Amino acid sequence: MSEVETILIVEDEQQIREAVAMALECEGFQVCQAGTASHATVQAAARKHQLVILDLGLPDRDGVEFIRDYRAWSSTPILILSARSEERSKVEALDAGADDYLTKPFGIAELLARVRALLRRRQFNTSEPQATLQFGDYSIDCVNRVVTRCGEAIHLSQIEYRLLAFLAANPGRVLTHRHLLAQVWGGQAVENPQYLRVYVGHLRQKIEDNPAQPRHILTEIGVGYRFQP
Amino acid sequence: MRKPISPLPTIGYLWSVLGTVTGSLLLSPLRNLVELSNIALLYVLSIVVVAVTYGRGPAVLGALLSSLCYAYFFVPPHFSLAITEAQNLLAAVIMLIVALLVSHLASHLKQHADYAHQKSVESTNLYELSQALAGAMTPASVITLASQFFAESLQARQVRVFLPNEFDTATDPINPALLAQCIERRQLLSRPLGSGSFYAVMPLTAASGVQGVLGLELEAYALSSAEAVETIETVASVVAVAMERSFFAAKARETEIKHAAESLRSSILSALSHDLRTPLTALVGMAETVALGKAPAERQKSMLEAIRNQALSISQQMTNLLDMAKLSAGKFELNTDWQPIEEVIGASLQQVKSHWPERDIRVALEPNLPPLNIDAVLIERVLWNLIENAIKYSPDASPIDIAVKRSEGHNDIDVCDRGPGIDPDRQEQLFELFQRGKAESGVPGVGLGLSIAKTIVEAHGGKISVSNRDAGGCCFRIQLPVGNPPVFLEANDPS
Repeated sequence: MSEVETILIVEDEQQIREAVAMALECEGFQVCQAGTASHATVQAAARKHQLVILDLGLPDRDGVEFIRDYRAWSSTPILILSARSEERSKVEALDAGADDYLTKPFGIAELLARVRALLRRRQFNTSEPQATLQFGDYSIDCVNRVVTRCGEAIHLSQIEYRLLAFLAANPGRVLTHRHLLAQVWGGQAVENPQYLRVYVGHLRQKIEDNPAQPRHILTEIGVGYRFQP
Repeated sequence: MRKPISPLPTIGYLWSVLGTVTGSLLLSPLRNLVELSNIALLYVLSIVVVAVTYGRGPAVLGALLSSLCYAYFFVPPHFSLAITEAQNLLAAVIMLIVALLVSHLASHLKQHADYAHQKSVESTNLYELSQALAGAMTPASVITLASQFFAESLQARQVRVFLPNEFDTATDPINPALLAQCIERRQLLSRPLGSGSFYAVMPLTAASGVQGVLGLELEAYALSSAEAVETIETVASVVAVAMERSFFAAKARETEIKHAAESLRSSILSALSHDLRTPLTALVGMAETVALGKAPAERQKSMLEAIRNQALSISQQMTNLLDMAKLSAGKFELNTDWQPIEEVIGASLQQVKSHWPERDIRVALEPNLPPLNIDAVLIERVLWNLIENAIKYSPDASPIDIAVKRSEGHNDIDVCDRGPGIDPDRQEQLFELFQRGKAESGVPGVGLGLSIAKTIVEAHGGKISVSNRDAGGCCFRIQLPVGNPPVFLEANDPS
């Protein structure tokens, strides 16, 4: 990393904004702050940021709308901060193009971990797509569509394979039910999350040591799944 | 209730004419075999029958016609209206008079009988209405019952009750002025609507004043007599009393709810003052000590750690309070979906592990559990509350056991600890708001977690209970109904 990474914080509560800014500055990031969506738009247009941290409950505009507009011209990762009561808008925001979320109250350690993961992924995304994905003892050969564990092939159905390959290609990222359904099954399946749950169950049986306490395919209750390599 | 004008009289006249004429024609060949006086009696008999069946008009017509037929067919000279003998003329006249008298008496009796019958039907209806009204608990249900009654018994349309707060805004087919007039005069007022019907308004007056105004559209016959109006007034007074009672009942319920809310508020206040202010005081104290900067670095670090934990625990309790406020306001909606319970348990454990990474948590899941139709976010909340309780109230080194089993129509989820267990006398109350296993406990909390759990589980049609374990500790059990999971097709997935 040659340049200092700048992060835009959009949050109307000054106390939280400053606490987050302080924590990020201590970690060596450069921080821009905005208290409203309109101010954030001005800031976003003025200079390039490597990450946006966005509170969904802004006074002047719906956070989800802000994300939609922002996504129209920028692919900078967005981390959402949401209150517990905003379960639904959180999913909407992720579907609209946000990359990850944190529920208030959150710990600073967790925030920093998410920020680092998102920044890392940004670099990963700009590199070439990989023909082989690795996680744990597993390896996915995307050319021959074969999954092996310590060199031994694992039998997966086509949908199971597609699901696993898509999850593994997006490590650490929270993927909503809708997003996964659209990617793996196609557009007509997005209203049937039970398909997804059944296949995730199958997949866990095949790749997790303890399917009830999974290590790789983690559940984000009410939102979707997160793959942890 | 008065019946609509029936087609009966026309048929009565028709039968009276037809019967007399055909009877006369049939009997006329036998005129030499039957004595003239008996024939006269036969006519009188038939008129009695007509009078009883169809009333006065047809009977009078029958009597006149009978005397003519008698003269024409039977009294010599036959087939002529002329009566030559004085005797026969007298007989014909007497027959006419008797027939008229009998028809009058018979029809009078019939009218009385009909009236009595009608009255008894009316009082039966009224009785049934008042019985139904006695069961009506809200003004709205009283109005519904009254509307049904008027629609059925009077064929009334557009029945509605204008409540006092609607008097000034009432529009077509009535207006505020008409309502005011109706209340002032305390009587039924009606105005024609065209096409032969009327719109009637009637004040509903009970002991404590006017409860509202009844408005209904009626056919003209329903308002045609004083009796008909009186009937409507009787029903209106019954409805008015029922309305008054239901208003009072609603008010009493409201007061009761207000009272319950009041006592809830006071328990929230005491919970807040004790269970939140104590840790807050400690928090401020520790923060100030750190700010003074006199404590050794090592001590400062541990104090900051304590401040963080204390604040997190307060935040957790605030979340509980807010959740409970949301749940008890009845504003929550279950966002259910069919999902494997393993997944929800896995997600709860994921969270628990991040808070208590060292704690030994053992999970035993029966294989092939059916999916449940649940709101995963809320059920996860329940599990988190139960597991958090189990961890808080048992020794650090003891394991927490989580087990899921199938039972009759349910999935049973058990969360068990090796803590002190729960006094059997307190097991029931434990799920109520602001109840804790022990009134003053060193463990922070306000006594909300379990009542949140109970509210959520019951909203899912399930049950939550607690029992003590044989070897010490207690077990919380959630029972969630299994239902009929959708059949899942995996056909389009070649391996």
